Amino acid sequence: MPIVTIDGTTYEYEGDQKLLQFCLNQGIELPHFCYHPAMSIPANCRQCLVKVGMPKKDRETGEVELDDDGDPVIQFFPQLQASCTIDLQDGMVVETHRTSEEVEDAQTDNLEFLLANHPLDCPICDQAGHCPLQIQAYKYGPEGSRFEFRKVHKPKRVKLGPRVTLDAERCINCTRCTRFTDEISGSGQLSITNRGVKNYPMTAPGEEFDDPYSMNTIDICPVGALTSTDFRFKARIWEMSSTPSITTTNATGANCHYWVRDNQVLRITPRQNMKVNEYWLPDEDRLVYNKFNDNRPDGPHIRRDGTLAGANWQQAFAKAAALLGSADPERILFLGSAHATVEDNYLLTQLADAVGADAPRYIPHIEPGAGDDWLITDDKTPNAEGCERLGIQPIDEQLVGTRLAEGAYDLVYVLEDDPVGSGLCSADDLADTDVVLHYYNTTNETLPRATAALPAAMVVETVGTYVNQDGRAQRVRPAKEIQGVNRTLMMEMGTNREDEHGTPFDRWHNDENRINCKPSWEILPEVAKKLGEDLDYPKGPKQVMDEVQSTLEAFEGATYDAMGLKGTQLEDVEAGAAA
Amino acid sequence: MSSFDIQRPIVELPDQNPDPEFSDEELVWTDAEEEKIEAWKEQYPEDQAAIMKVLWLAQEKFGYLPPEVIKFCGETLDMSFSQAYGVATFYHQYYKEEKGTYVLDVCTCFSCQVCGGYDILHYLEEKLGVHAGETTDDGLFTVQEAECLGSCGSAPMMEITNGVYVHNLTPEKIDDLIESLRAGEVPSFTSMTLPQDEEELGGNRRTDVESTETYQTQPRAEHME
Repeated sequence: MPIVTIDGTTYEYEGDQKLLQFCLNQGIELPHFCYHPAMSIPANCRQCLVKVGMPKKDRETGEVELDDDGDPVIQFFPQLQASCTIDLQDGMVVETHRTSEEVEDAQTDNLEFLLANHPLDCPICDQAGHCPLQIQAYKYGPEGSRFEFRKVHKPKRVKLGPRVTLDAERCINCTRCTRFTDEISGSGQLSITNRGVKNYPMTAPGEEFDDPYSMNTIDICPVGALTSTDFRFKARIWEMSSTPSITTTNATGANCHYWVRDNQVLRITPRQNMKVNEYWLPDEDRLVYNKFNDNRPDGPHIRRDGTLAGANWQQAFAKAAALLGSADPERILFLGSAHATVEDNYLLTQLADAVGADAPRYIPHIEPGAGDDWLITDDKTPNAEGCERLGIQPIDEQLVGTRLAEGAYDLVYVLEDDPVGSGLCSADDLADTDVVLHYYNTTNETLPRATAALPAAMVVETVGTYVNQDGRAQRVRPAKEIQGVNRTLMMEMGTNREDEHGTPFDRWHNDENRINCKPSWEILPEVAKKLGEDLDYPKGPKQVMDEVQSTLEAFEGATYDAMGLKGTQLEDVEAGAAA
Repeated sequence: MSSFDIQRPIVELPDQNPDPEFSDEELVWTDAEEEKIEAWKEQYPEDQAAIMKVLWLAQEKFGYLPPEVIKFCGETLDMSFSQAYGVATFYHQYYKEEKGTYVLDVCTCFSCQVCGGYDILHYLEEKLGVHAGETTDDGLFTVQEAECLGSCGSAPMMEITNGVYVHNLTPEKIDDLIESLRAGEVPSFTSMTLPQDEEELGGNRRTDVESTETYQTQPRAEHME
């Protein structure tokens, strides 16, 4: 196998590889700005310079020349090389800044140039704290600068589009953003304008940067030049916790981080998963964070004398159980949900079975034409595939809508969905029907018709599994706290700073923003208990999922440990076979 | 003469919604132009590589390149507006706004700068009553500061409207030049010769041009003294 020697250590490698990527893969840090593994390599930041050499060969015999000690003589390139563009070759010898003073000096001087016209406004810059330029200037940069003249001032606060704001002064012209629009999203909306010290990325006059993936340029910007219009100046990076999870805007199940401060979700950023979303996240997945903070319910409500009134949880469980117990099982409609986790839907199936009703079905939320064959899908729910694999079928909306209007059901049990809001039936259709509703937001249009309203924890507050359209089972973790004590949630809560968790100093801690809701995997067993049924899983959703994966072929192998952070691919099964 | 004064360097944001200068009816290629463009496309592996020639053609046709013309050029080659705009703004030889009849690009890059490029620029500015980047009221002259034009040997020098170079500038030479330009006479192309060529080749190493000028020992710039 070919070998390459980096800083005196020999590594084996396979195939065609670039030196910088190989070093990064080996955990050898090399400073760089413009290089991004998903895009072309322009080598224009010149920060990843290294010294590269090959064993010297005799021109006539082709044999490697040896020095007095019997070691091969290394012939180095006369100039330092940008490691991002160098192809590995057998026998190559590389010296990084760790062993070569020349490389160290070159990297330092290069940073001095990059910073020549950089405003150094880190104290007010959103990127500060996770800024490659800031980090690398500290690690590899000069003590000061010799450029003691006025800096070139470029446009600030330029609204490139509805979601991205440019601060051209901070730009180091790495061209990651323009390459993203050219090569990845294909909109070609950004281009470097002007030349020399005056250049910066910009849209053409009169054009807007309204690419549906525009906010990815904010993530890949190695400085604070491109910032989120929405998130600008809202929070410093070190004030927030980030929790690895997935987005639930559509059926892609893109991996993301939820950033939380004061128990409120403030932004959503992509998390690398080469099997799902690679490095990217569409804008529509990011700008939905408000639904986790706003219009959240305040505890359970039950209908008394025709009006919804606040109640405690035990009263609400009892009410739901009473409704289930008194209704004719033939006339109960259980609605599962493609918004809810596999565990919650599975428990609902168990509950429906226990009361002797028909198996639950779910309301599909398909917007034909909304998808783009990439990360945005027609299906606006995260778990339709999970429901199908559980044997929960989509309802025939017309049929069920008509039956609801006819009053064919006495009780509708809705898991985390909105039959009225989704157009399945009108509010009046439910006038004579009792409704038990697990809901997320007070904007839920079925809520005014609910007989027992049970606030459910959202994806950022619960533990569970979602299955994306390609059959990839992925876990979610709680990013923010809800009211009450739940040991499972406590255990799963982010480990951002373990020593802070649960103290008044932790970043989730703001009692005002803790929502009085419960995850459905806690509600459903409680309701079952009041009915005298045993649906108890003392170890919570982990135990539910263990049971699901061991009993249903469609979920085989999807244990919490196997899913980990990147999810696990489920075997394809015949539609309906799971049921 | 003005002092060597560095202004606060500010890059202005261009007008994001400019009123179009040319109507859609004007933005068309003639058959002859179409033919040229097709021929250029053939020369490159990708059509878009012909953008520079197309922009140049448009500048000759329309006089300058306002955004709608740049967009039109991009569309000709199935190129996004922003990419065409990036190319057009990279080169100062593409005029993004209307210029005077004669654009005087005075080089102030390293060699010209030490040989008095700024003295020449400031002399021109004062003589014509405009600052660098501005056009005289009669629309005849635009004075611009240019980066290296590749004629360091004859510093300080300038270029007239993306065309001929005027070498070894002095205030007197500027006076004569402005006078002749006002009379509509553009100086002819002048080849530079080395001093040692003077005798052997009659001072002209090139057979294709009439006039020559010999490299001189550069004067010391006023502002350096």
